[in-house]
Parts: sequence; structure tokens; C-alpha cells
Amino acid sequence: MADTKKSIAEINERIEDGSVHVVTADRMSEIVTELGAEEAAKEVDVVTTGTFGPMCSSGAFINLGHADPPIRMQRVWLNDVEAYAGIAAVDAYIGATQVSESVDLDYGGGYVLEDLVAGKQIEVKAISSGTDCYPRKELETTITLEDLNQAVMLNPRNAFQRHEVATNSADRALYTYMGTLLPNSRNANYCGAGTLSPISNDPDFETIGIGTRIFLCGAQGHIVGMGTQHEPISRFGTLMVSGNMKDMSPEYIRGATLYRYGVTLYVGIGIPIPVLNAKIAAKTGVRDSDLTTEVIDFSVPRRERPVMMKVTYEELKSGMIEIEGKEVPTSPLSSFYMANKVADALKNAIKGGEFFLTQPVERLPTDTVCKPMKQTKELPLVKDVMIREVATISVRASIADAAKLMMKSQITHIPVTSEEGKLEGIVTAWDISTAVATRHEGLAEIMTRNVIAVDSEERLELVIRKLEKDNISALPVIDRDQRVIGMITSDGISRLIGKERRWQWKLRL
Amino acid sequence: MKLLLRFPRPGHKTPRTAEVILETGAKINIDKANVDAVSGELIVDVPSDKVNSVAEHFREKGVEVRKLMKLIAWDEERCIHCGACISICPTGVFKFNPSWQIELEEDKCIRCEVCVNVCPFRALACVD
Ligand code: SF4
Ligand code: SF4
Repeated sequence: MADTKKSIAEINERIEDGSVHVVTADRMSEIVTELGAEEAAKEVDVVTTGTFGPMCSSGAFINLGHADPPIRMQRVWLNDVEAYAGIAAVDAYIGATQVSESVDLDYGGGYVLEDLVAGKQIEVKAISSGTDCYPRKELETTITLEDLNQAVMLNPRNAFQRHEVATNSADRALYTYMGTLLPNSRNANYCGAGTLSPISNDPDFETIGIGTRIFLCGAQGHIVGMGTQHEPISRFGTLMVSGNMKDMSPEYIRGATLYRYGVTLYVGIGIPIPVLNAKIAAKTGVRDSDLTTEVIDFSVPRRERPVMMKVTYEELKSGMIEIEGKEVPTSPLSSFYMANKVADALKNAIKGGEFFLTQPVERLPTDTVCKPMKQTKELPLVKDVMIREVATISVRASIADAAKLMMKSQITHIPVTSEEGKLEGIVTAWDISTAVATRHEGLAEIMTRNVIAVDSEERLELVIRKLEKDNISALPVIDRDQRVIGMITSDGISRLIGKERRWQWKLRL
Repeated sequence: MKLLLRFPRPGHKTPRTAEVILETGAKINIDKANVDAVSGELIVDVPSDKVNSVAEHFREKGVEVRKLMKLIAWDEERCIHCGACISICPTGVFKFNPSWQIELEEDKCIRCEVCVNVCPFRALACVD
């Protein structure tokens, strides 16, 4: 039996004469399981994928046309959301996550993009310092999508191959780009379309490349190149995509607010995979149970967060996963219902002879890695600023001893240690005055036991957040053996930052 | 059936809720309680055959009673079926149907309002 081999041109002929056989990616998984890849490749010409989820790295270039007298916009706002105007006179880039200057997280760039596509009126304000050729300094007008010369969506990073699953082991809720994470890992949020995910159906980028025609928010758009942070080696491929907003449909582009995190844009993307041979057919047979991702604990506010476990999309989609022996309900933040709708819409467009496939102009790289940021102006570490000469007191001491020590050392927070020098608690001047009032005598009875302590290698930013959050003015610094090696105080930090101007902006002082 | 009760002056001497339970013999479940210095608000779940007599007894004691017809309002037009509400709801009001659309079991709702903020599309609201 000869191996099936098809070309894109042949598939396009079948689209033209109406004989093309198109299925959605979830149906293809069943076909490959039933018939095997070789038969499936004979049977099916195109597999359509789809995804509809939050894609923060999105936005659009717009051109407003020239005013009279003309202006070179230096700053511009659309419905009070600032767009980037540091390009030619009346060009701007409106990014999805920029928030409104008047209503903050209730409105932002994602909503501006949705409103434009929905044909709504947008208030424009712009300012400039004025030039000889562009004398105007201020501009206010109202526009709709129709009034713009161009509105070209250009999303630097979309259609993530997969996403990490977010959970939170801390004892307070976290508000993140993965939604609200309840304390003590009571929920887990994930993202991505699983078996329908575009890149997961062509993980080696054999058919998806630069110039591939795609479904983008209802329009026919294109892949411009690899997305930012594209790292296909670890199955974190991403795409940069572009499309004409004037052809988009409001159903497939929606602004959204992630509570106490920010504004984003839900984007609908569908990519057709031409089934050129059995090898490609086999890859489009991917099932939810083949796709794994990692559960990450977001309570660690660092770049490298601990991986708690691995799960498959099948497990995630069951609505419940088991984390450390506990049943945890899951929520996808992307919509499978809409992802299906995208894949169906693309399927129908191909069947109806309205959408033809393209041969990529160039393939996407398969070996890039996403490097961490090079940071040159970091805040110091705890060990660089902590007070090293700390007075500590034994847990067996009396309250009177602690009071004397406070007077002598002029310090209002004293770490309390065990016989072995391990941190047991902390006692403050306030504790002592209450102890006197309530007639306590032993230190052990009145000290605070659940002390928040920090590691000497921790970054100061994180420590400052801890101090602020719990309204604490001093924290003990401990080593690996829980021994107190220093103390860090908010006064000390303020003094340090007062001296170093370059850190002030970072802490919004 | 759920009732929204507004108590003027929560520091009232007599335990009005307990009295109503005794007087009507109704097994009342307290879903939510908000009490502050000036007023108190309870949402209670009452077996349907006792609703009218419970409401009557509360009213006699000066408590404002409103029947809650809509526990959680869902704007289907705005909803994109992202499911963010599913794992956040403490009582499991939301679930997916086989075609991945969200479905509500409204009578489970205790009006904690957590989902109202969490919905990225403002498709959920607790209205009186
Ligand atoms: S969170 Fe909102 S948009 Fe998402 S499924 Fe629930 S109601 Fe619908
Ligand atoms: S208000 Fe609370 S109980 Fe009711 S549906 Fe929303 S999250 Fe669930």
C-alpha cells in the first residue's frame, strides 16, 4: 500500500471543487484511534484546531488619519486608555493590558479592542508639544473602527502550546494572571484548549510557519513568526499573529478583567493543519490524555516556582485533580465551548470554499529558548542590609529581663530563642506592656509564636511586601538551622532607600 | 426557598431567629450572615411549605423580609463559558454540560458573591 502524500495545492483544489474532507481536531483524535494514522491520512485532508482564551500579549496598530491643523501625537488615549504613540504622527499601538486612567481595572486596552470590533464609538484624546509641520498641541475626537485608515491586530505572543496549572498553598487568596487562587490549594486554574490546541496538533511546526493563513477573531489572519518566549523544545511554543480588525467579529474578541490583577483580551484563534501524510495525521491524533502540564504553587513570589506535580489535560478537564491527597476543583480560564466554535467555524469556512490553505514562506525555529531577564539594577539582598548585632533572649527568661534588654539595646522587637539558639518567637514592647497589665511573668506565655522570619538570601522587595502586608516593623533573619543571624527593620530599609535614589522608583516611593 | 432578612438594631434583646424557629417548627438554615453596628442581614433557607408562616412571624417581630427569587443572576449573553466560576464557588453552583457550556444549580447558591468579582466578563450578579 502506497504511503499517502498530498500537497497543499491538491488540498486547495479539493476546497475549490467542494470535495475536501475537513474535521475538527477532537474528531480527528477519534478517527486516528479508530482507523490508524495511515487510513486517517487518506480519509482526512484538513484538521481544524481552535482556542479561545486570555492572551495578554495582544494589541493593534491603528492609524487615525491627519487632523487639520495636523498633530504629531506624543501621547494618545482611547476611552482613557493610553496607547503607545512613540511612532509616526498618527500611528499608535493599543495594547490589551493597559488599564483605564479613570476606572482602572474595570476597563482597559482589551475592552477598547472589543469595542472597536463591535463598531462602538471611541473617544480619542491626544497631546503634543507641537512642531513647525505639526503645529497642533491638543486633539479630542470620536472615532469608530470604520473611521480608522488601518486597524491591524498584531499579537506578539498568542496560542500558547500549553500552560502551567496554578494553585496556591499560602493561607491567603492570591489574585493572579491565572485568576483568583483560593488559600490552601482549594482550587486550581488552568488554561489552553487541550486536544484542540493549534500547536499541540503540529508540535514540530511541520505545517505551521511564517505566512500560514489562520482564523483570527473571525477574520482571515496570518502567522507573522514565532511568538515571544517561543520555546518549542520544552513544548512551550508560541505564535505571533496578525489580522485586519475590520474583518473581525465581536463574538471572537472579548475584553476581560482578572479580578485584582488586570485587564486582558480573549482571542479566538483557529489554525488549519493540512494532513499531508500519515506522520502529520498521527500528530493531529493527539488526545487530552497525551498532553501533560505542571501544577505550580503560586504562593512563591519568584520566577522559579516549585512544581507540585504533573497532570494531563484529561485529568484537568475532569473537573477535579488530586493535590497532595486532597481533591481540588479545577477551572479552565479559556473556553472549550468557544474553542470548539472556532474550530467549527474554520471547518465550515474551508468546506464552504471561503478559506484556502497556504504553504508557509518559512518554517518557525524549533530550537529557541526563553531566557530569564538580565537584571543589572537589583535591590540588595536581606543579608546586605540586615542588622547583624542582634540581641536575643532565651525563652526561659522573665518578662522583666526582656524589658531590661529592650531599654539597654533600644530595640522594640527581640527574637526569643530556645536553648539551642533556634527561633521560637518574638517579643515586642507592646507584648510587655500587655503582660504587665495582665500579670503574666514568663516570656514563653506572652511572646508571638508564629513569627514570620526571612532568609538572608531573600530579595529586599519581597521582604518589604511582607512588612507592608502584615503591617510589621521588624523581622528576624534566620539561617538554615533556624538560628537568628540578624534583624531587618522598616526604619533600616527606609534609611537605605532614602540614600539610593535609583531604588526609589522600584518601590514607588 | 430563600429569604433575605433585614434586622434593624442587631443588638436586640430577644433572639428573634431562634423564636421564629420555635414558633413555626421550621428547619431554617442560615446561609449567610452580615451583622454590623447599625443593621443585620441574614439569608436563610426555609422549607417551601413553611415559607409563608416563617415570613409572617419575622415580620411580626419587626424584621424586613424579602423572598429571593433570583439568588444569582447569570447573563448568558456575556458569558463565554470560561468556567472560572466553577472552582471558586463554595457550594458547587456551576458545572459544565457535555458541550462545555456552563450550567447553574441556582438553589445551591448562598450569595457569598465570590463569583461576582471572579467572572472575567461580569456575567454574574447578586441582585435583590
Ligand atoms: S466565570 Fe463568567 S464567563 Fe466564565 S463561565 Fe462563569 S459566568 Fe461564564
Ligand atoms: S454567590 Fe457564592 S454561592 Fe452563589 S454562585 Fe456565586 S460563588 Fe456560588
